[in-house]
Amino acid sequence: MKGIRGISQLSRRFHVAARTGQSLVQPLAGLKLSPGVAHSYQDVHVTKLPSGLVIASLENYSPASKIGVAVKAGCRYETPENSGVTHVLRLASNLTTKGASAFKICRGVEAVGGSLSVTSSRENMMYTVDCLRDDIDTVMEYLINVTTAPEFRPWEVSDLTPRVKMDKAEAAHSTQMAVIEALHEAAYKNALSNSLYCPDHMVGHIKSEHLHQFVQNNFTSARMALVGLGVDHAVLKQVGEQFLNIRSGAGTTGATAQYRGGETRLASLASLVHSAVVSQSAAAGTGEAVAFSVLQHLLGAGPHVKRGSNATSKLIQGVAKATADPFDVNAFNASYSDSGLFGVYTISQFADAGDVIKAAVAEVKNVADGGVTAADLTRAKAQLKGQYLMSLETSEGFLEALCTQSLTEGSYVPPEEIIKNIDNVSLTDVSNAASKFVSGKKTMASSGNLVNTPFVDEI
Amino acid sequence: MTSDLISLTRHALRSSLELKMASRAPVATGRLMLGIRKWYYGMCGFNKLGLMRDDTIEEDSDVKQALSRLPENELNNRVFRIKRALDLNMKQQILPKDQWMKFEEDISYLSPYLNEVIRERKEIEEWTKK
Repeated sequence: MKGIRGISQLSRRFHVAARTGQSLVQPLAGLKLSPGVAHSYQDVHVTKLPSGLVIASLENYSPASKIGVAVKAGCRYETPENSGVTHVLRLASNLTTKGASAFKICRGVEAVGGSLSVTSSRENMMYTVDCLRDDIDTVMEYLINVTTAPEFRPWEVSDLTPRVKMDKAEAAHSTQMAVIEALHEAAYKNALSNSLYCPDHMVGHIKSEHLHQFVQNNFTSARMALVGLGVDHAVLKQVGEQFLNIRSGAGTTGATAQYRGGETRLASLASLVHSAVVSQSAAAGTGEAVAFSVLQHLLGAGPHVKRGSNATSKLIQGVAKATADPFDVNAFNASYSDSGLFGVYTISQFADAGDVIKAAVAEVKNVADGGVTAADLTRAKAQLKGQYLMSLETSEGFLEALCTQSLTEGSYVPPEEIIKNIDNVSLTDVSNAASKFVSGKKTMASSGNLVNTPFVDEI
Repeated sequence: MTSDLISLTRHALRSSLELKMASRAPVATGRLMLGIRKWYYGMCGFNKLGLMRDDTIEEDSDVKQALSRLPENELNNRVFRIKRALDLNMKQQILPKDQWMKFEEDISYLSPYLNEVIRERKEIEEWTKK
């Protein structure tokens, strides 16, 4: 009997396999859809409430949903009085709120198999919950509590101090982290110079009042975005209108970042020298920023083939002529809302650190002087497009992209438009970007045994 | 339970006894009940040593946890009162009458924190039972 049943299903299986040319995410050609099913296939819906809150969602029919609340409350909005408050705020996401105690949040989220996490960058802070579709109400309640009604009880906040110290110790282990934080501190006078981690002198001195004040000033509706993946837009809109409208206004405006161009040297006994040499580039969202991204891939932005020879990386090929010892070099590119940094990041043996850094900077100068072919440009554009599109493949990557776009632009920019912007970058744009690096005031941060590492004015 | 959750440490410090009495006893005998309570307070005698009621509460684990959450000035006042009372007890003396703790001034400073600690403990017990 089982065999016969199997045979009757064979025809169904063959039929599905035969429809290989038919995409399963687009409606059938020639089929007229009734108006009610306008939202039945995957579209990103964006609503902007009058209070300024942006709500974006994509119903991708996945069994697991993700909801994020993104706030423009990164460490650039810290002031000297509350330096380090965003680090403590990151760790305070599981503390007692008005609607649920810390214990309840932890057990409640675990009970439905979900997770609550918070990540913050220099500009934004993002609280994310994910869980199965059916349990979204439960975890959404906790998410709203954490973002809008935290209590920051003094004894719970002071219990966070050991965790702050642990975070800092772990970050100190990573040389890249130390160099990049030092680079930002040296490059800017304010805002973007603030570190993601609490400075040493403020550990233990961030109190409940600091946290309350920071949340009051920065967690306002106009600076928040509610983003969902695998949720219905109407549900999200209702939640946004009811719960996330509590603090209106634009909050405190952050200061414009002022570039100064300095140098930091972190001497240690490590035999590998990490060094970053950058110059001011362009703010994110401008055409110039896209040119810098293309330039980054032109010069070399990480290996594309594991244990390969990095044949397409101009930086690596150029530096390989200057030294026979192991090294690594990448182009460094960071864009923020009002400024950006572009340059090279080198890792070399301490003896030939100077040669490596100078060769890397010379490679960028070569591009500025026009030493790049059309084939190189096409290859770089393809790599950038590939990297961007692949980052949208994961739900975390997509949610993060959606959050950032909702906060900065207030709308969703489809990948096709981004691809078009990348394609519009010309050879002159790229060489102009490289010239901007060559002629701009440089910032440098180095770490390791710095006996042979040049100073920023010697490069 | 929801009202407890919302009205946390921010609600006014009141004697828990007064609240309970006000809700249960009819108004006509309010003054009588108040008189009896004042008399009983005087009979207890710890006010003659300058102590408040919450200074005399037995320190079990809940109370210890609540004490660790007291703001610094409240804690310092409590330590001072206890120290003064111990000193007087050693000397077999009591304070002069004008320095006795008065019934009206005896506020229950620990009860908000203590109630919260007990509520949290009960919540944990509730969840571990499931």
